Amino acid sequence: MLKMTDVKKVFRTDLVETHALRDFNLHVGEGDFVAVTGPSGSGKTTFLNIAGLLETFNGGTYELDGQNVSNLNDKKRSQLRNEKIGFIFQSFNLIPDLNLFDNVDVPLRYRGFNSAERKKRIENSLEMVGLAQRMKHLPSQLSGGQQQRVAIARALAGEPRFLLADEPTGNLDTQMANSVLDLLKSINAAGTTIIMVTHDGHLAKQARRNIYVRDGKVSEINEVDIAMPTQLAAV
Amino acid sequence: MSNTHTSTSINWEIGPIFRAMLRNKVGAILIALQIAVTMTIIVNSVYIIVERSKEMQRDSGIDNENSFYLTSVGFTENFNTPVTVEEDLNALRALPGIVDAIQINAVPNSDSGWSMGLKTQPGVEHDGVGTAVYMVDEHGLNALDVEIIAGENFAQTDIGMRVVGQVKWPDKTILTKAMAENLFPDIPYGSVVGKTVYINDTEPMIVVGIIDKLQAPWVGWNNLENVMLSPERMDYKGSRYFIRTEPGQRDSVMKQVEELLANSNKGRLIQNMRSIEETRERSYRGHTAMIKILTTVMIILTIVTALGIVGLASFSVNQRKKQIGTRRALGASQSAIVRYFMLENFLISSIGVILGAALTIGLNIILVNTFGLDRIDWFYIPIGMLVLWIVGQGAVFGPARKAANIPPALATRTV
Repeated sequence: MLKMTDVKKVFRTDLVETHALRDFNLHVGEGDFVAVTGPSGSGKTTFLNIAGLLETFNGGTYELDGQNVSNLNDKKRSQLRNEKIGFIFQSFNLIPDLNLFDNVDVPLRYRGFNSAERKKRIENSLEMVGLAQRMKHLPSQLSGGQQQRVAIARALAGEPRFLLADEPTGNLDTQMANSVLDLLKSINAAGTTIIMVTHDGHLAKQARRNIYVRDGKVSEINEVDIAMPTQLAAV
Repeated sequence: MSNTHTSTSINWEIGPIFRAMLRNKVGAILIALQIAVTMTIIVNSVYIIVERSKEMQRDSGIDNENSFYLTSVGFTENFNTPVTVEEDLNALRALPGIVDAIQINAVPNSDSGWSMGLKTQPGVEHDGVGTAVYMVDEHGLNALDVEIIAGENFAQTDIGMRVVGQVKWPDKTILTKAMAENLFPDIPYGSVVGKTVYINDTEPMIVVGIIDKLQAPWVGWNNLENVMLSPERMDYKGSRYFIRTEPGQRDSVMKQVEELLANSNKGRLIQNMRSIEETRERSYRGHTAMIKILTTVMIILTIVTALGIVGLASFSVNQRKKQIGTRRALGASQSAIVRYFMLENFLISSIGVILGAALTIGLNIILVNTFGLDRIDWFYIPIGMLVLWIVGQGAVFGPARKAANIPPALATRTV
């Protein structure tokens, strides 16, 4: 599903060379729920950016869904992001001038779906996160938890192979965080692979596997024995 | 996912862009208004420029490039104008390089001349048609380089001598085709030959010939081609000579003529020697100035509008960096981001040019009613819309490219 082998990422300025990832190796299988943790500056976000094809890397190989993505051009990378990856961001990244319907519609338009197909997917995904009744509302009219659910609906509407979540509960209070986490678990239970970057140890323990990143490398992998929800439901 | 769900590889975002614009109206409205005002001014300016240029290109009827004129003013007590004029014209006509020369009361396009009214029936109760009057002898047609298209030229015996204060007019005249058609709109101009027209309300003149074209002295006059020729020389202290030269010899002939006339009679001054080209340039100076001013205004307005669009688009890009990064993360290619901003500008420009079309017509109506301009031709409006669309798209392209270069990784940064 996702296989990184000896991936390197170096940021260079005139004065400094920073090795963000050094021989980074990771294999994430179909249906997995992986939490990536580590201290600040350890390379978590760089890993997430490379995994999500948001950034290129300097060495090693990266196979996404069986395809080597090392040397793809921008157009192909954009297409792969759109078709195979759903993103959930810490600060939701909803477009403030668009209502919920149009927000969820954004990646679907890039996909080239016709309007009937888009409408069906938008309604289904907003229904899934319990916000179908508010699809004409603007993001500013929602709570943080609700905004994150819209972001999840947006990520799911294109039926991606896996979700990349960047501190998905980082801007939420405990109650809302738990609600979002339960939603993610349900999604995973329904078969979607999830990779979640977090610095929250408690949150990480909710995933099936914990990966600890330090100095740009995977330093530890732990299997977590938790009970996962068996069916997807609006939380 | 099956391809049956896809409509096209490019999915235009007109609806979301429009709805988002409605939530941030101020900038878009200001730019749309700027485009509308720019279009209004540009289209009407272009129309005025084209009309003025057409006026400047109108055929004067005379040989502009090879003709000039001068004034001979006698200052001695016993200065004999008729004799001097006869001697001068004989000398001028014999000078190599000169095609012909005449004494004339006024010069076409010189902005100074005589006008009268001609009527087809005698009596003050009948309306007349205004006309410029050129007093010429039988060499007039050749010197002015006009062609007789009906009837005949004046004979030498037709030429009278007009004295100061004279009110009586000769009994023959030659009219331009335009004047003939204005006087007798219901008959072919050729049939006007032999007709009697009335000057000074009651004095009859027989039309002996029709010439193709000759303009009056006043370039701004609506009836510029209403001209009559009167078979006369003038016994005035000041005489104006109109001289046509062989092609390319005007400038050298002008020097010779000045010398010849100055030396042939010491009792007069030679003044105001000027080519027709220079005269026309002076007469159309107002037109030229207006064209330059309007062109400058158009260029400045277009630049200001383009800069306004660049400014708004750049501001918009800077303000929406995170949003653009997010769109990129969600699958927008660089070309999709460029397309987004181009489309957004197209929508704003469309509102602007539609409003501009209405304002253009409105301003034109005001110009027509206030300054007597012609109504604008319809095709100026779609051309103006197209130009403003192109200006808008050109102006927004740079900021759109800048937006497209925003990396998708910006979506995961906490800005």
